[in-house]
Amino acid sequence: MKNALLTATTAAFLAGTAIVASADTVTLEPGQDTNMVLLPKFLGILVFDQANEGAQEAHAELQNPGELLFQGPTPENSVAGQIEIMTTSATQGQGAVMLSNNAGDQIAPAAQAALDGGTRVVTWDSPIPSGDGEDVFVAQVDFGSIGIVMADMAHSILGGEGKMAVLSATPDAANQNAWIASMQEALEGDKYAGIELVDIVYGDDQSEVSYNRALALYDQHPDLGVIMSPTTVGIQAAAKAMQDEGLCDEVKVSGLGLPSEMVSYTLNGCAPEFALWDFRDLGYLTYYTAYGLATGQLTGDIGETFTAGRMGDYTVEEDPGRPGAKRILMGPFTVYTSDNVEAAAQ
Amino acid sequence: MTGLLTRMSPQTLRIVALLAVLMAVLLFFATQIDNYLTGRLFNRISSSVAIMALIATGQTLVILTRNIDLSVGSIVGFVAFATGSLIAALPGLHPVALVLFAMGLGGLFGAANGLVVAYARIPAIIVTLATLAIFRSLLVEFSDGRSITSNTLPDWLVSFPNTTVFSIGDFDFRAGFLAAFLVVIIVHLALNKLRAARRFYAVGSNPEAAEMAGIDTKRTVFTAFVLCGMLAGLAGFMFLARFGNITVVAGFGFELKSIAAAVLGGVNIFGGSGTVIGAFIGAVLVDLIETSLVRWPLVSEFWREAVLGTLILLAVTADAILMRRLIKLRTDREAARDHERERAAERDRATHAEAGS
Repeated sequence: MKNALLTATTAAFLAGTAIVASADTVTLEPGQDTNMVLLPKFLGILVFDQANEGAQEAHAELQNPGELLFQGPTPENSVAGQIEIMTTSATQGQGAVMLSNNAGDQIAPAAQAALDGGTRVVTWDSPIPSGDGEDVFVAQVDFGSIGIVMADMAHSILGGEGKMAVLSATPDAANQNAWIASMQEALEGDKYAGIELVDIVYGDDQSEVSYNRALALYDQHPDLGVIMSPTTVGIQAAAKAMQDEGLCDEVKVSGLGLPSEMVSYTLNGCAPEFALWDFRDLGYLTYYTAYGLATGQLTGDIGETFTAGRMGDYTVEEDPGRPGAKRILMGPFTVYTSDNVEAAAQ
Repeated sequence: MTGLLTRMSPQTLRIVALLAVLMAVLLFFATQIDNYLTGRLFNRISSSVAIMALIATGQTLVILTRNIDLSVGSIVGFVAFATGSLIAALPGLHPVALVLFAMGLGGLFGAANGLVVAYARIPAIIVTLATLAIFRSLLVEFSDGRSITSNTLPDWLVSFPNTTVFSIGDFDFRAGFLAAFLVVIIVHLALNKLRAARRFYAVGSNPEAAEMAGIDTKRTVFTAFVLCGMLAGLAGFMFLARFGNITVVAGFGFELKSIAAAVLGGVNIFGGSGTVIGAFIGAVLVDLIETSLVRWPLVSEFWREAVLGTLILLAVTADAILMRRLIKLRTDREAARDHERERAAERDRATHAEAGS
């Protein structure tokens, strides 16, 4: 009897999960026709091209007969160019725009107009800070956990005790600012009591500016132990600057970087640890999300789960960093050291 | 002291005034920033100014002819990327060949500017505003999203700018700086000694008169743009060597900095007067102010550009006022001397008249 009951419960339970799974996990129907635009911060940066490769992969996999355009502004015209492309895409009646936002909240009116006109707006890499004009944000990692990872890398490089400075991208980059804020929050914890954050400077994602800022940090804080740079341009410029001036023994560099660009600095000890996620995967997941929304197979409501091809299942959830906004969390990311950087750099 | 100052040529005066402003800036920041006046500051500024000095030199040549080149930043970026791609593909290439390639490519861009400005008679500010965008877009297209990273570059190239040639105390004189300084001196001497180079001044101060004097003004303007392009190309080579990592934003904003350096250095924006040495000191001044502002805790990131702009205005104004006063001193002195001479002559006449009577 007891056994029978158990079996019955188990059966019911199993049936329950099966029902839940089939009801809630949307498998996207391939072959539907929708034109979409992948809109990076600006053209000419490797990671955005990698995201495009991922999106193209998903585009082929989903056999969308429509067009996938990789369209972005030139670097000197990033903000105005992004708004213009957003507006044009809405006028053209594109199914969806996938945006890595570099225009802060300035793009929100254009994005809202696009939404109202029936074009879905999916952000990736960098969201619209207010969440206005955005269906959902495909977050590469949990922004809070990036802060913890950066704090942990600083902790391990400094041996728990020392001074750290941040070299960021532009002062108004939404993603970098969120990560720095979350790192500052993490640093409040007891584990990091010995680490002092002495300065935050901005290299504008330009090699020469970042390089000079990194040297200025050392000049200003002679007992600096680590420069944390949450941008792929800043981290390699800082590593090169420390290497050029023979300072790698005193000041280490860490942050977010591309293995192919950082491998020599990791092996020679200038940048012993850094982290990053896979931008191809980010482009791939973003495409799946946008395709689902544009073809009406996804609603983008909180709690909705769907299968994104080779990457598995993802759920729309509330964005803890932006009240009222929604996100799909990709995660995790990889911490690179001399053990795994060479393999990843290939 | 005033006697010494009034005996100098206006060109030298300007350089003295600039050096005084440079000193004032140094002293000001020394009171604001700890560990400021060290050999390290010299090493920082000298290494980083090497690139801007070359661009400002080219910009000066163009401004002398009453023109302006807004496309230099894009030329630097494109040449840096193309030169990096070339040496990555052909690592055995001779250094001299690589430098010539960079200068040649820059010269081609300059020639495109020069052709349109000189022969189609379109204002330089319009032409180079267009080519600023065009050259940058060419780079975006050409780079295809790749960046150049220092690990694809040969060692000689990456280590060249930071090789210390000689040191005086804590002051390192590095190869990149010395090379750029040498170029500045050569151009300066050429402008002062070569008849052909004097044409830049002639065309800039009075194009009609220059034309009537038999100077081919079109060719002179064209040449200025080509030379400016070549110097920007050389700067692109130096940029590649120094930073190693080249993305599509390389050299972004350099056009404005080079103009600021030239104008601060006393190059007249309406053409016809100014020196390359002045522009060089102007470049040092811009770099010094920028580097110091980063270390000045009183100024936040968001205000730095505004403060830099204000300081440039102040420096230019101070320089102009100082210049005017010095020139006035000088003319006063000359007037006094003339007056003295006249009175002496009068006395002479009077004595002669007396003797004659």
